[in-house]
This record gives sequence, C-alpha cells and structure tokens, in this order.
Amino acid sequence: MEHERIERQRKALKGRLAEEIRETLEGTEPGGEGSPKGMGYFYDVFRRWDEPAGLADGKPVIATSCMQVPLELILACDAVPLRLCNGSHALEQAGSAFLPVKACANVKATLGMISVFQERLQDRLALVVVPTTCDQKRKAIEAVAEGAFTVYPLAVPSSKDTEEAEVYWRTSVKKLALTLEKVTGKRITRKRLAAAVDHVRQASAQFRKLSRMQQHAPPLLTGKDMFLVMNAFLCDDVQRWTAAVARLNEELDDRKQRGRFAGEKAPRILLTGSPPLAPGLKVPLMLEAAGGVIVADEVCSCSRLLHDTVVSGEPRLYDLIPAIADRYLKPCTCPIFDSGEDRRRKLIESVHRLDVDGLVYQSYSGCLPYQMEQRQVAHALREADIPVLFVETDYSPEDRGQLTTRFEAFVESIRSRKRRR
Amino acid sequence: MKKIKRLLYTADIDRFRFYVQIFCFGLLLYGGWLGLNLGIHLPAFACPFCSGACGTCYLFPLQHQANMSLRQMAGGRGIGLVSGLGGFILSFIFLNKSWCGFICPLGALQDWISRVRVRAGIRYGSYSKGTFRRLKKIKYLLLILLVLLPLGMSNSFFGLPRLSHDFATPFCMVCPGRTVLPLFSGDAGQAVVDFSSKTKLVLTALGMMSTGLFFVGAFVKRRFFCLFCPMSALQYLFSKAGMVRMTKDGAKCTRCGNCYRVCDMGIREIAESVDRKNIVRDDCMMCFKCVAACPEEQCLKVSFLGATLYSATEEGFFNRASREKTSGA
Amino acid sequence: MKRFCGIDIGSSAVKVVLMDETGELVASSITPSGNQFYQSAADALTRLLEANGIPREEVSRTVSTGYGRKLFKQADESISEITANALGAKSLGTNGGIPVKTIINIGGQDSKVILLDDDGGVKDFGMNDKCAAGTGRFLEMTALNMGVTLAELGRWHGDSGKPPVTINSTCTVFAASEIVSLLADGHEKGEIIAGVHCAIARRVAHLAERTGVADRVLFDGGGALNRGLKSALEDELMREVVVPEIPQITTAMGAALYAREGF
Repeated sequence: MEHERIERQRKALKGRLAEEIRETLEGTEPGGEGSPKGMGYFYDVFRRWDEPAGLADGKPVIATSCMQVPLELILACDAVPLRLCNGSHALEQAGSAFLPVKACANVKATLGMISVFQERLQDRLALVVVPTTCDQKRKAIEAVAEGAFTVYPLAVPSSKDTEEAEVYWRTSVKKLALTLEKVTGKRITRKRLAAAVDHVRQASAQFRKLSRMQQHAPPLLTGKDMFLVMNAFLCDDVQRWTAAVARLNEELDDRKQRGRFAGEKAPRILLTGSPPLAPGLKVPLMLEAAGGVIVADEVCSCSRLLHDTVVSGEPRLYDLIPAIADRYLKPCTCPIFDSGEDRRRKLIESVHRLDVDGLVYQSYSGCLPYQMEQRQVAHALREADIPVLFVETDYSPEDRGQLTTRFEAFVESIRSRKRRR
Repeated sequence: MKKIKRLLYTADIDRFRFYVQIFCFGLLLYGGWLGLNLGIHLPAFACPFCSGACGTCYLFPLQHQANMSLRQMAGGRGIGLVSGLGGFILSFIFLNKSWCGFICPLGALQDWISRVRVRAGIRYGSYSKGTFRRLKKIKYLLLILLVLLPLGMSNSFFGLPRLSHDFATPFCMVCPGRTVLPLFSGDAGQAVVDFSSKTKLVLTALGMMSTGLFFVGAFVKRRFFCLFCPMSALQYLFSKAGMVRMTKDGAKCTRCGNCYRVCDMGIREIAESVDRKNIVRDDCMMCFKCVAACPEEQCLKVSFLGATLYSATEEGFFNRASREKTSGA
Repeated sequence: MKRFCGIDIGSSAVKVVLMDETGELVASSITPSGNQFYQSAADALTRLLEANGIPREEVSRTVSTGYGRKLFKQADESISEITANALGAKSLGTNGGIPVKTIINIGGQDSKVILLDDDGGVKDFGMNDKCAAGTGRFLEMTALNMGVTLAELGRWHGDSGKPPVTINSTCTVFAASEIVSLLADGHEKGEIIAGVHCAIARRVAHLAERTGVADRVLFDGGGALNRGLKSALEDELMREVVVPEIPQITTAMGAALYAREGF
C-alpha cells in the first residue's frame, strides 16, 4: 500500500517536474535568435535535471546542500557530488511536510528532493554534507537524518574576518576531508587533489570568459542562458561542463565579431539575493521578459560558484587543504556572516564597472539573512545613486502577475531615467 | 604596445626574480674580484666581510659614522652622516623595497633554503596575528640600537661611562650575513666566537646563535630573518618616496586572501585593507608574488614613476595557474 | 486634430481618457470591468468616442495600463500602472506651488505607494497586491454587509459622533462576520464604517512608511472618492493629502500622456 502510494507520488511529481522544466525552456531554440547553438548542451542537462548523469555510474555519491562544501575534496576522493538545492515548486511542497510554514523554500525543496527520491538515493548516497551556514539549513540537518541518511554537519563560522574564524574553518574542512576519505574508502593524495583543484580552476577560467560575454555592452548572452549554464554545473561532470562552456565561448566570440548580440537596448540589470535554482528560474526569466537584460549577478547559484579560485603557495597537502578552505570562506559574500561590507563593495563595484542601470534584489519569504541585509544595501545604493528594486517571492507561480508589474515598472523607470539624462 | 603589456602581465614574475637573485648574489659577493664597486650605500646585505664584495651594506658605514661625539656631529663632521644617509636614500628610492625581494643576498639565500624545504615536503610555519604584530617591532629596536650603541662609544649618556671600542658595528657582530656570506668565498673565519674580551665574547656568541637561528628559521618559515631586519626598518622610513610603487584598488578587492596566502612575509594587510592605495608595508619585500596571485583585473599594480610595470590581470592569473598547476604564484 | 487615448483596465473598472495634443483632457469615462476585460475595454472606448463625436481615425495612439493591459490588443503599447500613475500625477501640476512627491493609490484590488523624484519620475514604489485588507475590496464588502452603497460610505464616517470601532480580524473575509456581530451588539453604522476606514488607512500607512513618504501626498484611485477614508488616511500619515477632481482616472491620464510623448 505504502509502496503504491510512493509510486503514485513519484509519478505525479515527475509529471510536475517535467512541466516546470518545459515552462522554463519554453520558446528557447538553440541556434535561434539570441540563443547560441552551444546552449543546446545546457538545455539538455537542464531537461535531465532531476536525473543527474552522475548517479548512473558506480562511484559513491556525496550529496551537499550548499556551495560551501569544497567540491575539490569530493572530486579528489573520486566521488560524485550531488547538489540537493533546487527550485522546484513540486519538491518544495513535498518537503513542506517536514518544516514550518514560514521556512525557506529552498530548504523545503531540498528536503522534498531527499524524501521523494529516497529509495533511489538511499543506497547511492555515501554521505549528506550540510554546512551550518544559515539557521534553516542547520536546523534541517535533523530532518534529513530522519531519512536514515548519514548526515555530516560541516561547521561554518559566523564571522569571516577574524583569525579565529579562519582557523575554525580550516579545521572544519580538514575534518571533512578525513571523513570523506573514510566514507569513500579513497585517500586524498596530493596528486588527486591537485588534479581536482586544476579541473575546477579550468571551469572557473571558462566561467570568467563567459561572464565577460554576458557583461559585454551590448551583451552576447542573456541572463537566462547564464543561469542555465551555471545550474548545469551543479549537476554535471566538471570536465565535460568545462569543455561545453569552452565551445560556447568560442561561438560567442564569433558572434561578437559578427555583431550578433542579445538584448541591445535593454536596461542592464544586476540580480542579487536568494539564489534562483533550476527548474524555478522565475525571477530571471520574468525580469528579462519585462524588458531588462541581466548582465551580472551576485547569487550563489550562478557567479559565486566559480568566480573565485584556489591558490596555494606550495603544492603539498599541508598547504592545499587550507588553501581550499580559504577560497570557500574569505571571498564569500553570503549574508550569513556578521558583516555585509564585502558584499556591498562588490555590488557597487560591479555596477560601476559593468555600467549597470539598476539592481534587482530578490529574497525568498523566510530568508531572513537576505532580508535583513536589505537595509544596509539600500543605504549604500542610495548613496551611490543606483536604482534598486526589492522583491520578495517564493517558488509558487501565484505571484507572477505581481512580479511582472513590479519588474515592468522598474524597467520603465530606468528607461525614463536614462532618457532624462 | 597592448601586446607587450599582455605578455608582461601574463609573465611569471617569480621565475624572473629567481634569476635576478642569482645574478645579484654573484655580483654582490664576487663582483669585487672583477674590480666592480657599487658604493657604500647599498640598501641590501652586501657584506663587506666578503673578500669579493662589490659594495657595502649601508648599515656598516652607518654604524661607523654614528660613532661620533655629538659636539663633533653638530660641528660639521656630522655632514658625513647626512651625506651617507643621502646616498642611501638615493640608492633606495630607485627600487623601493624591491631591494629586499630581488637583490638582497641574505634574502636570496633564505629563498633557496625554502625551496629545499618545499622539495623535502616539510610544511612551513606561520605566526598568529598577535605574534606577528609583536615580533615585527624587533627590527625597529635593532635599528635604534645599532645607532645608539656606537653613539654611546663617543658620548656619555646619562652619566654612564662610554661604551668600549668593542661595540663598534654592534649589529654586524650579530648579523647572520657576516658569518654566512663569507662562506660562499670559502672564508669560514667569521663563524667564530671571539674570546678576546667580554663584550666581544657576548656579541660573537650572539652572532653564532643568530646564525644558527637564521638557518633553522629559514628552514621553518619563509624569509624568517626579514621580519627582524633593521635594514628593512630603515628602508621603510623612506619608502613613501620610492619610485617603484605597489598600489591596490580596494574597490576591486574580493578579499579572497590569495595575496596573503602567497606572501612569504605573511602580511595580512595586503588582503584585509581596502582603503589604502599604497599597499607597501614595513615588512614587504616587494617580490610581487601577491600581484601575480591576484585574479581581479587591475586590483594590484606595480608602477615606476606612475607608469604601470606589472598588473594583476584575470588572464595573467589563469595563464600562470594553468602553467604551474595548483599554485598561482 | 490628433487625439491620444489612455485606457486603464482595472479589476473593478475600466477608465478611458482622451487627450488632445496640448495635453488637455477632452473626455473620460469610468465603466465596470465585468468578466470580459477585453470586451468591456473595447466597448468603453467605442462608447466614449461616439458620445463625444470623435472619429476613431483621430486617435493617433492608444496606450493601455492596469491589471488587464496585456489583454487589450487594440493598444499600441502598454505600460505598468505605476509609471502611468506617476505621469498622471505630474500632469495635475504643482498644486499650490509644491510638486507631488508621493502618490497613494487605493484601487479595487491593490494599494500602491509611489515615491517621485524631483523630475516627477518614479524613484521607488511599494505595493500591496496580496491581501485584500488594504484595498477597495474591503470597502465593497463592508458596504454590502452594512446595506449601504459604496458611494455612501464616506458620508457615514464619524456620523455617530462616537470614536471608530477597532476591527480585530486581519482577514477581510473574516471581518465580514465580525461586522455582523458588531451590528448585533448595538454598535452604530457610523462607528463601524469609521473603524473599517481606519483599518484600511493603517495598512496603507504602514506600506507608505516602509516605502517612504514625502510632501506633497496625492491620494488617488477609486478609494479616494471616500472622504471618510481620506480623513482616516490623513490621521495615520499625520499629513494632509490632496485628492484630484476625478481620482479614478489619474492613471489613465498618465497612459494618455505617455501616448502623447514622442508626438
């Protein structure tokens, strides 16, 4: 009986997920106007988003619920990383059984994913690593453990400016490395770790090139496509992804020579805040449909994933592991830390360097860290005379009309501001 | 022009520095045999105790010149001190603190020892923030002492008797350069304890201890000695006038800390400060490893009289990183 | 003779404005939206043109705004009601020498606060379009439950001489039952209606505080016809608010002005 109910739930969910995916990709044709041919690869990965290729081969799978888990360590153990974060409304509703009503949609969707795919994941997941970044992720640890998964809480400091925090986090990462070795049965050797760091760095290099294409005036890539490319990174093999991005970069370079741009006269927007995640890319899609073009972002499901890289002074494990730890902590602009100064500085610098016309700051209902930082960000932006729109949303499709009005009003106000100058 | 700049910015400056250090080491320790003389105002440890020395470290004449009665100093003989200092400043500001990073033989020696350590797979040591802050003050103490002690030989301070002649060049007695550098021309004569007087005994014993400490330290920490170097302290007093400058555009900084990670001296400020433009500190040896490790376009820059010589670029960073695999510097 | 048409397709009413080249208002109409927005809008436009003897060809450009703007295919362009409302407010001129800096709009299904910059452009805005409690819907429901018409509500405000009753429900739909029980308890219509006005005003004032308020404040939208609501709003904001002659059409006027721009 129970088995039948689960089967029925899974089938219904699969249908809904397919619908959500289809909706996002509606109207995009790789090779068509504004959409490079190279995007076809990423649309395919997006379509298979809930069946990541990594689960197919026999390697142990390490699930993570935040970008703070160093990817390099997982790769060095020859394990497959699986990102549980997602933007599916269907999975969010499945996960809301475990959490209070006002809880963060992302955490609900994460739990939803675990609970719905429990049987499939049960024998494949060697470990679920949950960093204690924000309150909601931290308190969801015990809910995840209900599913009889081995959960490892990765301790993240709540400050990143002090020496103590640096030491705390380095120790935390070292312990994670030891745990991963134990769980996967593979030792993290210098060679394997150096190779993993190199692969991720190459991905980072290609990402930076792609960023330049998106930031170009006029842009060669829409924000929507960038989000799809980066979301693919979360569920694809790193080297395969890097190669696909390299191909896309070549094609975009060619488009640049021939003058084929995407969104020429559209107001240039920077999107920041709670991360838009596949398949729920509602905000970037609607923002661009309202006439804006996203030329940059400051979210952890896009640029923040690969902007920074690991640098180590000495090519040995005793230096590589702290170097990896530092890369994940120091440049991090997540609002979970006590100071939001780095984030504000980055936002303002990006606006000036990239000639951004306006900022859209989104937060999920229930995401207090992002909402609480709004005030300081608003001050800083007002002083710098940068227009900003704050929106609060979640995964449900119910507020589309309201979002459209706000985005259109914002884009219109930017257009008239530009005309008056 | 743009192509030249691109080529320059993607260059591996550390490799370049390695060769410059070898050249300068050879020049400063053996150049005298070729009849070359670079003067007595050198802002680096070109030790005169080496038989082939091609110039003299300025601290040597400084200590000698400080051995002067104050009356004489005011009476016109002090002009020697002033001109000596002037010569030092002129030599120094040309290259700013990159004398330490590119030219100083003791610096080069420490870098070579570090390379051996890395080859052997021995991990490096580093100071905590508090320890670093306290230890760096020692160099100023040594600088003050190396001027005061010789001064105390010709003057009587606070009614105390004048110091004995054995206190001439007190710093040279404890400097590891004096014992170590002559070894490279086969002269082990400086590496001794001198029993001829109590003062000499203490000073040379300290000298031997500091030599030992120098080697052990260099094997454990990158550029161990440089944190305590009084030459560095003296240089820093005039660093603001340096023609070579290293600047930071704080707005572009993501505080990733790469610069701090690769810094041999362990200077945190390079990563933490986002307000100051001139980022050279008293411990900085201007080796520019930080500039090479910075992935943010134009965040860190090296300039000579305003013209940019070397800059952090995204392309340069990734090129270097892929060439060296795992290190960005 | 060139004419420009602005059409605001709201959830309760369709407002049509015809403007001439100089920006003068030629004619306007306010009709219920009904179920078929597109049809109602098309009909309203046709009827207004006929009533004023204006041939359709004279209308050079039509711009739609409001909730149903995308449905009205006859329009040449559509803009958001926020931009339109701001333009409309600008055209009302500087009343008494002080330009409008804040617009508070209470419509059928939402309430908006729009902050304007020195040029009259939109600086910031806040909307309540999720909860009926601060919108005209609450007024409609109250009128229905009290057995009065919407237009009469303003007159009843403070009629009893007694202070307004506090409405305890957060939800408009639940407030209906509360009103019924208040009436049964013997409270007078005036008190209860004033209480409803205060509840709405408080919500809108909160929204205004979060968005920012600066003098001068313009109060428009259908809700502005209600002078009881106006006085409650002034009490909450502790400032005077100005209501235009026909407050429902400010947004449509802005749309017509937008149509005129560029000609």
